[in-house]
Amino acid sequence: MLSFIIRRLLIIIPMALLVVTLTWGLVRIAPGNFYSAEKKLPPAVEANIRKKYGLDQPWYTQYGMMMSNIVRGDFGDSLKYQGQSVNEIIWRHLPYSAVIGLLGYLLALALGLTAGTIAALKQNSGFDYGSMSLAMLGLSVPNFVLGPILVLIFSFWFYLLPPARWGGVSSIILPVITLSAIYAAYIARLTRAGMLEVMRSDYIRTARAKGLDEKTVLLRHAIRGGLIPVLSFTGPALAALLAGTVVVEKVFAIPGLGNIFIQAVLNRDEPLILGVVAFLSILIMIFNLIVDIAYGFLDPRIRYE
Amino acid sequence: MMALRKVSKFYVLMFFGSLLVNGCTSSANSRYFGKTVAPKDNILRYVTGSEPETLDPHISSGQPEARIYMAIYEGLVEYGPKDMQPIPSIAKSWEISSNVDEFVFHLRDNAKWSDGTPITANDFVYSFRRGFAADTLSSSTELGFFIKYAEAFNGGQVFVKKGDTFLLAKDFGGEEQKPSPGIGPDTDFHKFVQSPIRLTLDGDEKKRAKQIDADPKLKAAVAGAEFVEVKAEDIGVEAVDNYTLRVTLRQPAPFFIGLLAHQFFRLVPKQAIDKWGKEWSRKEHIVTCGAFRIKDIRPYDALILERDPNYWDAGNVHLDGIEFYPVEDNATILNLYKGGVIDAFLNHTVLTSWIDEAKKFKDEYMNFPENATAYYSFNVTKPPFNDIKLRKAFAMAVDNNALSDFRKVTKPLYDLTPSGIFPDYDKARAKVSEDLRKERNVSPDVLAKLGKFDAEQARKTLTEAGFPVQKNGDRYSCPTFPTDQVSLMFNTNENNRAIAEFVQAQWRQNLGVTVPLKSQEFKTFLKDRHEVQYIGLAQSLWSGDYMDPYTFLGLHYGYPNNGDTGFNDPKYNKMLDDANAELDPAKRYEMLARAEFYLMEQQPSIPLTINATNWMKKPYVKGMYPNPGTLIPWKFVYIEQDPTKWHKDIENVMIESDPQVEKQLQELTATQKAAK
Repeated sequence: MLSFIIRRLLIIIPMALLVVTLTWGLVRIAPGNFYSAEKKLPPAVEANIRKKYGLDQPWYTQYGMMMSNIVRGDFGDSLKYQGQSVNEIIWRHLPYSAVIGLLGYLLALALGLTAGTIAALKQNSGFDYGSMSLAMLGLSVPNFVLGPILVLIFSFWFYLLPPARWGGVSSIILPVITLSAIYAAYIARLTRAGMLEVMRSDYIRTARAKGLDEKTVLLRHAIRGGLIPVLSFTGPALAALLAGTVVVEKVFAIPGLGNIFIQAVLNRDEPLILGVVAFLSILIMIFNLIVDIAYGFLDPRIRYE
Repeated sequence: MMALRKVSKFYVLMFFGSLLVNGCTSSANSRYFGKTVAPKDNILRYVTGSEPETLDPHISSGQPEARIYMAIYEGLVEYGPKDMQPIPSIAKSWEISSNVDEFVFHLRDNAKWSDGTPITANDFVYSFRRGFAADTLSSSTELGFFIKYAEAFNGGQVFVKKGDTFLLAKDFGGEEQKPSPGIGPDTDFHKFVQSPIRLTLDGDEKKRAKQIDADPKLKAAVAGAEFVEVKAEDIGVEAVDNYTLRVTLRQPAPFFIGLLAHQFFRLVPKQAIDKWGKEWSRKEHIVTCGAFRIKDIRPYDALILERDPNYWDAGNVHLDGIEFYPVEDNATILNLYKGGVIDAFLNHTVLTSWIDEAKKFKDEYMNFPENATAYYSFNVTKPPFNDIKLRKAFAMAVDNNALSDFRKVTKPLYDLTPSGIFPDYDKARAKVSEDLRKERNVSPDVLAKLGKFDAEQARKTLTEAGFPVQKNGDRYSCPTFPTDQVSLMFNTNENNRAIAEFVQAQWRQNLGVTVPLKSQEFKTFLKDRHEVQYIGLAQSLWSGDYMDPYTFLGLHYGYPNNGDTGFNDPKYNKMLDDANAELDPAKRYEMLARAEFYLMEQQPSIPLTINATNWMKKPYVKGMYPNPGTLIPWKFVYIEQDPTKWHKDIENVMIESDPQVEKQLQELTATQKAAK
């Protein structure tokens, strides 16, 4: 088990560097520069900028310099936002995304697991049909539609919640609901399917045959097996949620990482792009590892070699 | 089934409930757009657009930053609140040499930085030199290249010294400066800066060698000469004394004073930059000199300003603070406005689909012309549009009036310079077109049609250019036109696509030619356009940098230029040079108008529309005007708590008199009688 974890952790670093290299290549292929704007720069000014940022060097020198800095954990300064380091920007904006993402995740889990489990237990009931239709709706309505609808209802009809911007508990209610809707819907459907399958399996029948009451059967035996598909979905989903969700951050003007990342790409802000990509890839790999470890606890048949 | 019934009951209730509430709120507030309550804390909340790149005014050239800089930094002059004409700021008055190439500014002696340090002429000398220094990496330096030797210093060039004398530019085909009487006391620096322009060569040895080899006369002259670096101290900026600043230009530039309100010419604090280097503009180090100072910086969320008690005119600053919110999504901005979270927002923000709704709010919606134009550039270097006839045919086939009706918030553009922005220039244009009509002996109606939409004439011209237009029923076709050699390129954006599709339809309908559309990501698009790599046509937008038609006419001046069409015409360049050397403003405008007329006859572009301001403000925000650049001098802005004094019918806001603003403006301009 421990050796499995160490092995997986060791692989994260070269993987992240590979991702950074590929991203660097893609950024370089994209036409345009961080300094290009509607107005052309005088040639002397452009030459000065290129010199200062080492853009006048051959590509392998630039790549070498970038890599040696990144290996030391230094992504350098943002090209667009002068005097701000990439590390500083990421750590400054991560909390916004993380708060929204984590709350959205918890809400989605709470709603999804409850609805999915009840729907599975009361298959073909009114609740089953009702909640699964709602889940279908949740899956099909994109968050850039749901967000504005919620704003219309809660900000303009009832004047209960602010329509956008960060500030206080009231400002995060709508983004969290918007964010969680699709995940809750997905989790509900996965839970329902997983639970239905498990409830029909032999070991549940055995548990019942032993004379266990329904509550114990459900909580001790069924849920663990039923959650495996949910787990493999929610692990990477949590990574994605924590690292920022572009659409929700845009609709609600939240200063999170997702927004920063998109702007960085549009601005061709290479150090910032690479920093966010490296951070995201490490985050996703770690969450995948956690999911893999968690499998072992939920399903005794899984062994780590 | 029980549960389902409950759920549906809840929704039915909610649906009717919401209708009820909606009905009530909209009827109660129908005069204003959403929640309209004047903030009691006397703090204005404004959306600036994208996140500011930096708070260093030398670095960023963007509009969102310009609005913020106007609150925290000052320069010699400030934009007037209504017309953006320069009004005194730290300079309380100025004198202009008879050649319009030298300016003496008299600074007020009570201006201070936010840390209490007095502001002197030396602060301006430092700021100007820093702006032009190569390692500052300013993207706006070009605006200041009128200042003598500024361009040479910025480009790292060298003077050529032979014995005790320097080679002069005029001996090698360079510009010749008319001898100027100069103004102010005659110092050693003044003697130097008033002497004929010295020759400057590239600072890079290899490039210089190439430059010298290419010119035999130059080669002979530089033999045995010494190359002397152009230094910051050589730029035509001088602190004559603590409160007198003299600026010397390399050529007459009658619009120069108006240029000085631009962020590039605002003061930066030497004391903070020396101490903190590039980190000087962080919250903990920043020193400012505007009406407001920094209270808090929360990137991507808010920039919080408070009134600066050290500001020289603090008594005339009405707001206690400003909160700038960087928000980019237009729908979100409108939601914030409707929800009463913000009091006003930046220009070009009301979405086309919202405009009809927004226009109903007559006390709030700002629909005024802007110092900005939209047009399509031709690539005049490549066939088929290297043929002027073809360019004319395509230009005549576009109905600008229909286009601006379709866009709802724009006015049609017929030339390069927008009409309605420079009233004196509009008069000059009318006079010149009448003069030209007489010179060419054509009737007024022929001239009126020139350059305007004329489908019949367009087809005729296209046929004459060798691409016959055929009529099939009520449609036209032009089978020989090489549509595979042209495209209409624009950057990916819903509005741009709508305009492109509209114009494409016009060509199809009027000429029978279907030009393919090409949508590109912004930076990719910019590269192709700047390098004139596109085929056919490319979309262009230009916002004027200052309040003079030259900000538009200069687009096609020299080469490479910002016109991005490949157009380069020595005759046009000379017409502009001659006009700028003219000292009589009325005559200069006429000469510029002639140049513009000449340029539009070459048709390097298809004029489309004059932008509209297209923003909103709550009726209780006063002293804030829809000027042609949406650049707001914040110290005039105030919040009116008394609803009877709120703005009504915003259409009249530019002509209506606001006694408080008038008085404030009068007091400011009283020190400079000659200021326009």
